[in-house]
Amino acid sequence: MNEDLVSQEANEALKRIGSADIVVGIPSYNNGRTIGHVIAAAQAGLEKYFPQFRAVIVNSDGGSSDGTREAVLGAGVNKEQLLLLTTPLFPVHRLSFPYHGIPGKGSAFRLIFQMARQLGARACAVVDSDLRSITPEWIDLLVRPVLHAEFDFVGPYYHRHKYDGTITNSIVYPLTRALYGLRLRQPIGGDFGISRRLLWRYLSRNDWETDTARFGIDIWMSTIALAEGYRVCQSFLGAKLHDAKDPGLHLSDMLHQVVGSVFRLMQEYEPAWASSSGSQEVDLFGFRFGVGLDPIEVNTDRMIAAFRKGCEELGEIWSAALSRETFDSIRRIGSRNPASEEFHMDDDLWSQVVLDFALAYKRQPVERGHLLRSLTPLYLARVASFVYQTRLLGSNEVENRIENLCLSFEQKKPDLIRRWRSEPNTHRSAKAESVADAKLSLEV
Amino acid sequence: MLDLLEQILKQAVERVSSQVLTYAPGLLAALFILAVTLLIARLVRWVLVKIIKGFAADRFLRRSGISSMIDQTGRLQTSQVVAKTAYWIVLVAGMLVALNSFNSSLSTRLTETVVFLFPKLLAAAAIIVVAAWIGRYFGRTTLVWAVNESLPWPRKLAVCVRAIFTFAGVVAAADHLDFARSVFLAAFIMVVGGMVLAGSLALGLSGREAIRRYLEEKKGTPRETIDDRPLWTHL
Repeated sequence: MNEDLVSQEANEALKRIGSADIVVGIPSYNNGRTIGHVIAAAQAGLEKYFPQFRAVIVNSDGGSSDGTREAVLGAGVNKEQLLLLTTPLFPVHRLSFPYHGIPGKGSAFRLIFQMARQLGARACAVVDSDLRSITPEWIDLLVRPVLHAEFDFVGPYYHRHKYDGTITNSIVYPLTRALYGLRLRQPIGGDFGISRRLLWRYLSRNDWETDTARFGIDIWMSTIALAEGYRVCQSFLGAKLHDAKDPGLHLSDMLHQVVGSVFRLMQEYEPAWASSSGSQEVDLFGFRFGVGLDPIEVNTDRMIAAFRKGCEELGEIWSAALSRETFDSIRRIGSRNPASEEFHMDDDLWSQVVLDFALAYKRQPVERGHLLRSLTPLYLARVASFVYQTRLLGSNEVENRIENLCLSFEQKKPDLIRRWRSEPNTHRSAKAESVADAKLSLEV
Repeated sequence: MLDLLEQILKQAVERVSSQVLTYAPGLLAALFILAVTLLIARLVRWVLVKIIKGFAADRFLRRSGISSMIDQTGRLQTSQVVAKTAYWIVLVAGMLVALNSFNSSLSTRLTETVVFLFPKLLAAAAIIVVAAWIGRYFGRTTLVWAVNESLPWPRKLAVCVRAIFTFAGVVAAADHLDFARSVFLAAFIMVVGGMVLAGSLALGLSGREAIRRYLEEKKGTPRETIDDRPLWTHL
């Protein structure tokens, strides 16, 4: 499984460059419009903040047909505007190669990590190619904690619109925080800094061709760092403004891949999360400042209609996945016909739904793909409820609401552990394998 | 008169006793075989329950969905199913052996027919079970997909998908058994043909709308509303 994806052409380029201290990886697919800006920002960041280091920017492309790779190689930086205090000792190399394997961000990252390993990089940063708000400081904030403070994993911390990143806010952040006891605010943010040690650990894993290869990559990286005890911190990057996602992609696929990855890793890392309680702050670097954000339109009526349809049609799956009380509560909400503003799925019920699904994922009363995709209407109901509850609230108050949800997850953790242990264990061998892998990687 | 009556009675008794003498050993043997078979069947059932309980077969059944296909509560136990199946196979085999002990042409023919048909019946049953399982899987896939895509009548769509797979299984089983082959095949072709026609019509009608939208957008009059806009900011 640990196959080498680096092509002949890439190998030759790597031989020509020899070695590098820092690798900035940028996965792309038809991002010709925005990637030039991202490349320019990355190059400026490397030249301005790390002039004494050898650095390479690697674009791992999924077969773009809109000139993305040409944009990467042709992107330029006006060095006069950078006000460099030190002249860079080495030129920043730019490489662009197509990756092979399952199409997705994970496969793109795999190629970047393999190239970083071959170059002997001490730090690697990855940033999305559709970012409009990236600045050279992002590279500094993602790389410096690794190079100078010996952190292994630097997660992003952004200001986002209250309705942006709803999978993060309603599922991934609260659940990850409750499980692994660390308040990493954007575990699926997409822009990370990684140490050599952690990079080798990622490459030693043999689950690259699961949901990890697609949207699951971000939570996979964060979870491994959290669960295996690597040093984790966050950097404040300002606002996250990015292009609209691929319109051919559906929400239920996103949920399937992200939540499926969280649940799968939950099985693997049971010893890591089942022995802890509560949560702790994670070190946050960078100067926090207020930023303007793009407005987001949310159609709650459509969300509630989707939930009602789910209530009518998906009872057979939900009843197998949810506990009796949770299922009854969901049906009660679905059968009521309140004016939209009164529609409400509280923190307690929502956290119970997510934890019941996690248990069902382990128990497998129905096929896992069906189970995860059937979560979509419930998730939409929760988002609609959240939108109604926070319509008039400012960002700090919304953050308090998210904090309350996190506490609800944390309160339910002892019950989760009890129920989890009463389920038959289906992941023993994978877990043992993973622990063995972790030991190997620490030896490396 | 009395002599005649006595003679008739004697002949009747002789006939009965001769028939009893002819069939009694067979009957006794059949009863004995049945009793022994019953004991063996129970023994086999008990042993299988004990052996299979420790295996991961129940988990496999639950994961594969076969469990909930047979038993809606999802609490079906493999050990029970296998043991019961083995119990009935032993019992039926015992009955056939018992019937054979009469050594009549009817019992021999019956035994031959069952022995000849049994593997075919078993294979046909397996085909139908597999088809039903695949139908259930794709039916559920359709149901969840249709709900998430907000399509009308998700359950009806799912039932249709499930019925098609099951029907295909029945056709294949009938073909295997050489039973009303042409009838099932003709019905299947009609159903599939109807579906293809319906699908083509649906595609054509929706395609017309898609092309109209495309042309409108080309002209610079985008029709996208909030309802059409996907929800892209979840991650």
